[in-house]
Amino acid sequence: MPGPTVTWYLAVSVVLFATGVLGVLLRRSPLIVLLSLEIMLNGANLALIAFSRYQGRGDGQIFALSVMAVAASEVVVGLGLIVALARRKVALDVDKLTTLRG
Amino acid sequence: MTTALIFLPVSGALLVWLVPMPRAWVGSTALLVSLAEVALWIAAVAGFGFGSSGLQLEDRASWFSDLHVSYHVGLYGFSLWLVGLTAVVLAASVGYACSAGRDRPRAYYGLMLLLTGAIVGVFAAQDLLLFYAFFEAMLIPLYVLVGVWGGAGRIDATLKFVLYTMAGSLLMLASIIVFGLSQGTFDLVDSGTSGSAWLFLGFAFAFAIKAPLFPFHGWLPDAYRESSPEVAAVLSGVVSKAAAFGFLRIAIAKFPGPTDDFRLPILVLAAIGLVYGSLLAFRAPDMRGVIAYSSLAQMGLITLGLFAANDLGFDGAVLQMVNHGLISGALFLLAGSVERRTATGELSRLGGLARGRPALATVLLTVGVIALAVPLSSAFAGEFLILAGVFRQGWIWAVLGAGSIVLAAMYVLRLISAVLHRGVGRAVPEQTLDLRPAELGILVPLVACLLALSAWPAAVSEHSFAGDRPARDVASGFRAPGEELTAKGALP
Amino acid sequence: MITTSAWVCLLSPLVACLAIALAGNRISRRGSGYLATGAVALSFAAAVVAFVGLLGEQPDERSHLSTAWTWLGGGSYHSGLSVLVDPLSVFMMLVVSGVGSLIVAYSLGYMDGDDEERRFFAYMALFVFSMLLLVQGGNLLLLLAGWGMVGLSSYLLIGFNQRRPQAIAAAKKAFVMNAFGDATMVLALFLLVQHTGTLDFAATFERAQGLASNHWVVNLVALGLLGGAVAKSAQLPLQTWLPDAMEGPTPVSALIHAATMVTAGVYLIVRAHPLFELAPTVEDLAAGLGAATILLAGLIALVQTDVKRVIAYSTMSQIGYMFLGAGLGSYANGMFHLLTHAFFKALLFLAAGLVIHALAGEQDMRRMGGLRRLMPRTWLAFLVGALALVGVPPFSGFFSKDSILAAALDHGTYGYVLWAAGLGGALLTGLYTFRMLFLVFGGEPSPFVREHHHAHEGKEGPLSMTATVAVLAVLATVGGWIQLAGVWTPVSDWLFPVAEPLVEATGRQEAISSVLAVGLGLLGAAIAWWIYAARRGRVPRLRAVRTLLERKFYFDEAYDLVFYWPAAAISRAWGSLVEGPLVGGAGAGLGQATRGAGRLTARAQTGLLRSYALAIAASLAVLAVVFISVR
Repeated sequence: MPGPTVTWYLAVSVVLFATGVLGVLLRRSPLIVLLSLEIMLNGANLALIAFSRYQGRGDGQIFALSVMAVAASEVVVGLGLIVALARRKVALDVDKLTTLRG
Repeated sequence: MTTALIFLPVSGALLVWLVPMPRAWVGSTALLVSLAEVALWIAAVAGFGFGSSGLQLEDRASWFSDLHVSYHVGLYGFSLWLVGLTAVVLAASVGYACSAGRDRPRAYYGLMLLLTGAIVGVFAAQDLLLFYAFFEAMLIPLYVLVGVWGGAGRIDATLKFVLYTMAGSLLMLASIIVFGLSQGTFDLVDSGTSGSAWLFLGFAFAFAIKAPLFPFHGWLPDAYRESSPEVAAVLSGVVSKAAAFGFLRIAIAKFPGPTDDFRLPILVLAAIGLVYGSLLAFRAPDMRGVIAYSSLAQMGLITLGLFAANDLGFDGAVLQMVNHGLISGALFLLAGSVERRTATGELSRLGGLARGRPALATVLLTVGVIALAVPLSSAFAGEFLILAGVFRQGWIWAVLGAGSIVLAAMYVLRLISAVLHRGVGRAVPEQTLDLRPAELGILVPLVACLLALSAWPAAVSEHSFAGDRPARDVASGFRAPGEELTAKGALP
Repeated sequence: MITTSAWVCLLSPLVACLAIALAGNRISRRGSGYLATGAVALSFAAAVVAFVGLLGEQPDERSHLSTAWTWLGGGSYHSGLSVLVDPLSVFMMLVVSGVGSLIVAYSLGYMDGDDEERRFFAYMALFVFSMLLLVQGGNLLLLLAGWGMVGLSSYLLIGFNQRRPQAIAAAKKAFVMNAFGDATMVLALFLLVQHTGTLDFAATFERAQGLASNHWVVNLVALGLLGGAVAKSAQLPLQTWLPDAMEGPTPVSALIHAATMVTAGVYLIVRAHPLFELAPTVEDLAAGLGAATILLAGLIALVQTDVKRVIAYSTMSQIGYMFLGAGLGSYANGMFHLLTHAFFKALLFLAAGLVIHALAGEQDMRRMGGLRRLMPRTWLAFLVGALALVGVPPFSGFFSKDSILAAALDHGTYGYVLWAAGLGGALLTGLYTFRMLFLVFGGEPSPFVREHHHAHEGKEGPLSMTATVAVLAVLATVGGWIQLAGVWTPVSDWLFPVAEPLVEATGRQEAISSVLAVGLGLLGAAIAWWIYAARRGRVPRLRAVRTLLERKFYFDEAYDLVFYWPAAAISRAWGSLVEGPLVGGAGAGLGQATRGAGRLTARAQTGLLRSYALAIAASLAVLAVVFISVR
């Protein structure tokens, strides 16, 4: 069944990725930054799957699956960090978390 | 055979580290291993064909065959003598450590044995990457030995030593990689010569720091003063010779063109080092300082001989490497013995040690007299050959060298009279003991080696190069006549 | 047979030295003395055997080279560990081991009771070995080896009394000045190696003939060798170490600084005469330095107050005669004077040693006097030595010294100048010798002498000391009779195959020189008697001259100014200006640089998460553009 061409999928993927990038760059809450990261990853996943379908090979899908696994573990670490921050009653604002300044 | 020479001490180190044994046994086990190393070397000498040319006692196994890197070791006449020097000085140093006693003996003796293996490896390696690996492997035990068991200022000394050496080594690594890739092999025997000045300088820089040559000796006084005496003995006696060996085996043999081009600047640096070291030795306030700066001067002299580029220079340089190794080894151990008795090496607080301590006086006097190159001593023989050789590059070098003989007389006599003669120094307790049998057992063999060499210096000088024609041997890349480059394959 | 005995001669003192050193406390003090004496006596016996062996051969076949093994080599150059037995070396072997064994025997008594007797005898044996190596060495390298070794043993023996700072300083001074001479000699050898490729005597001399046209090389070689000879023999301008060397025990002064080592320079000139003959200018220089030293040392000796220093200056002056002879090419006369000088100078030193021994170590002549009554036999021995030194017939000095002066007459105008200097020296010799004799032995015993003089069991000294002095007194008397110029010349004939003389004095020249020299010597003695014994004259008061002489012509001060202070200043300046910054600065500089670089890069590390993210995104964008556009 002929669906939309691969171009459309890629367009959506780009929009998703750009949204994510903007989110990471503009938002100050670490929670939202993490969320935006997830959106970026999913944008990339969409592109992978689209190409996979387009080329008729399974590699891209497998890769997308492993990206999901990585994303899940990353969220675990990230959320854990945020919870730890919250517990220490540190302001949840990435602009104020500058301890690593040289 | 060569592999056994390298890995006997390494396995000794593993033995000391891994096999459980009472602490008291550790030192004597290490001493046994290093004596076994000396015995093994004697066996190697017995089996060595001094008359024939080319690499001997060769072992070879492929390592990274794509890059033509192999585990390739073997000995030439001159490397055989340097290996012997290593075995003897390291055995004496381990013996000295046993007699003095060291904290954490397992770690200490293991490192000393590891160091032995690494140094022997440097002298035996016939593959540039292997050479580099051993060259760096020397640094690790030294880093720990100076940094952990050294004196009060050991941290600074270690840091300086390591930074200097690393800087040189990295340049050498770059040179090695470029040289190896351009030759298509990293093998020293198989590779041809190169005309690249930059590669030559990369090697020369590393060796000039390790030797050290003026003005790269910034690490020297601290390292020689702060390390324990036996480590200082190894540093100045043996490790510095690895640099001189590198000059001979790699810088000069592989880069004949650049060697010619840079001869003058290197001779100038060596001569400056010779005079400069001698003058500073004359004003150094402590025993180790005198020995350290005289080492700087001697390394300058050896470099003069190497870059004289003729038969006499090469023969003399090899002879002087062996001499100076034994001399400065013995002197540092003696300095250690004196420091143990008086808790200081400052010349102004020593004195009068000769009276009632005949063994100390005799040994120090004998070594000192050989160190100042009194004629008929082996050091005189070496200096004579070197200066007669470098005379052909210009009379000025020989005049400077002869002048430094006078300076050497001045600083050695100053050392001897400040320690042994004059009134009794403030730091010298009334009941200071003479050398004990254990210390004599270490020093007397060293002195005996020196005296034997004095009776027959030609044993080394005439048995170092193929057919006793050093210049020809070096120019042919130490190959037997007729032996051509074998593996000249390009990279895949 | 001949070479075997030569090896025995060479090695027996070395064996004794090693045995004493290794035995340590297991050998008694006395025993070490006997061992050393026996070994040196064995050397003498072996030397005699070699001498007799050579006597039995044709004059032109008297040369044997025996090589044990190759001592040093490199490339085509080789030097063997070899001994050469020829008339010259046997001559020196006999002098060294003969006088040596007498003096070592004397030391048995002199050093008795010193708690470091063993060390002394070990050093003495080492010295005799070194000196024999010097004279027996079969090539120039071994000669140089012996040359350095005698310097070393001289250093050890001068500084024997380790608690005396003056002794240590004197020992160091002697060694360093000699090292300077060694250095010039080494340079000469380098030149020879470069141009002839060998250091064997015969081959070097033969190939050097081919260099005759190359004036620079031959002159420099001769000059370098002369530098060594001058330093070792304490001639101008390297003479200042010898008087200080009198800090050593008296037998040492007698053996090393009178009889043997200091005359090595003469041996060197005679041995290497083919090289010197190629450079006549340098030969003349050697003779001139000798003549200058005769006068300079004679003048300084006039004002010395230490008995041993007077004898030391007279040694310098006498070696000046030998240099004069050797430099003129009158080799046999130089060597003959070396022989007689060894006898009478050793005698003077040993007799002075008896005096010093009896006065508990006092050496200042101003405190002595009147010893003639207390020590009559010593006085007699000293008188014999003095007469031989001044050159009064029939004592030995007469036969040897005057031939040298006569030889000077056969050397043109320059020769006349040298001759005049030599005659002036004869006058000075008479003056200072008898001044010393009268000050020490003449007049009434001084208070100091009366207080401190102690007889040794009713005798003037232990048997080992008095007996050797007696033997030397006999030798100093008859030792010169083996040659009378123009009439009876066994010494010249013996040395002829090795060193053909360049000058030949006529009978008339000999006679004139002899008469004048003896006359002037006696005149000097008479003046000394007039002033010091009869006390009819006064010492002239020339304060400036006196200070100049007492300061030894300011040589020490000049050398300090020219060599020592600049070296010390350079070394200090380098220490603070170069070494400090280089060693301390290198570490500090490295640290500073690293820290600075770190500070720069740290600026980029804002800590703002969003700026990092932006950097990443921006770099990605740039990379993407690059990839797309490059493809």
